[in-house]
Amino acid sequence: MKKKHIIALLLAVVLVAGMVLAYSAFSEKPTEGTKKITIEVVDNEQNSTVYEVKTDAEYLIGAMEDAEGLTFDGSEGQYGFTVSEINGVVADFTVDSSYWAFYVNDEYCNYGVSEQPVNDGDAFRIVYSTY
Amino acid sequence: MKKISVFDVALTGMMVAVIEVCKVAMMELANIELTSFWLLIFSKHFGKKVYFVVPVFILIEGAIFGLGDWWFMYLYAWPLLVLVAKLFRKSDEPLTWAIISGIFGLSFGFLCAFTKIFFMGSAAAAFSWWIAGIPWDLVHGAANFILMLVMYKPMEKAVAQIKKKGF
Repeated sequence: MKKKHIIALLLAVVLVAGMVLAYSAFSEKPTEGTKKITIEVVDNEQNSTVYEVKTDAEYLIGAMEDAEGLTFDGSEGQYGFTVSEINGVVADFTVDSSYWAFYVNDEYCNYGVSEQPVNDGDAFRIVYSTY
Repeated sequence: MKKISVFDVALTGMMVAVIEVCKVAMMELANIELTSFWLLIFSKHFGKKVYFVVPVFILIEGAIFGLGDWWFMYLYAWPLLVLVAKLFRKSDEPLTWAIISGIFGLSFGFLCAFTKIFFMGSAAAAFSWWIAGIPWDLVHGAANFILMLVMYKPMEKAVAQIKKKGF
């Protein structure tokens, strides 16, 4: 292996290490214990239903399971669990470019439902959207 | 500048078709793609002809999948890769190309985060978006590195044969 390759590979390793450190330091983390949150669902007819949830779940999918009256379905996709149906309303991107958009405290969720952390006081919105 | 011949148009079409077919075929594999591999190989071997490949590829992607924020990321991310390939085009070592492809994969999320500043409204939101995607950038970088390392030599042989036939 040539010297320039060793230097380039070392730089790549430093880059990877930096990214891993940045992820550990700055990624959103869930809170343990009981949390009070709200989950608002806005369906395809703009009807809004708000669920007040008391949950021990660390990630949104668990909190959604704890929300009384909220039903949902979906499948495991390449980026984790993908929600396709909420309260009987199906969003199918392949049919009409519709999907369920997830927001936390008015910001678009950066994680899938199985990785989206839940913290006390969070206000989630799940909105039927079209592209 | 030399006039664009029918042959150039056909060659551009074939290169874009190869990229697009691989992209669609591998869509189920999160952040594992051959677009980087092909653009590096094409840039190395087909000189300025690849300048037409990138815009055509980006336009076709927009036509198929719609103009989301990712499309605006493509406008500078892929041309940047071609530019880097041009700088290293004389290198014939698989490890050099694998490192270039790997670092590009690692940096992809970071590069895309610049577009997110405008779409999400703040640098802080774009930063959070980049952080959330780091595990996928690591997958992207590792996959790019391995794919190039494994496929570089066989592809070099194939391209050499194609070039012998006058391409």
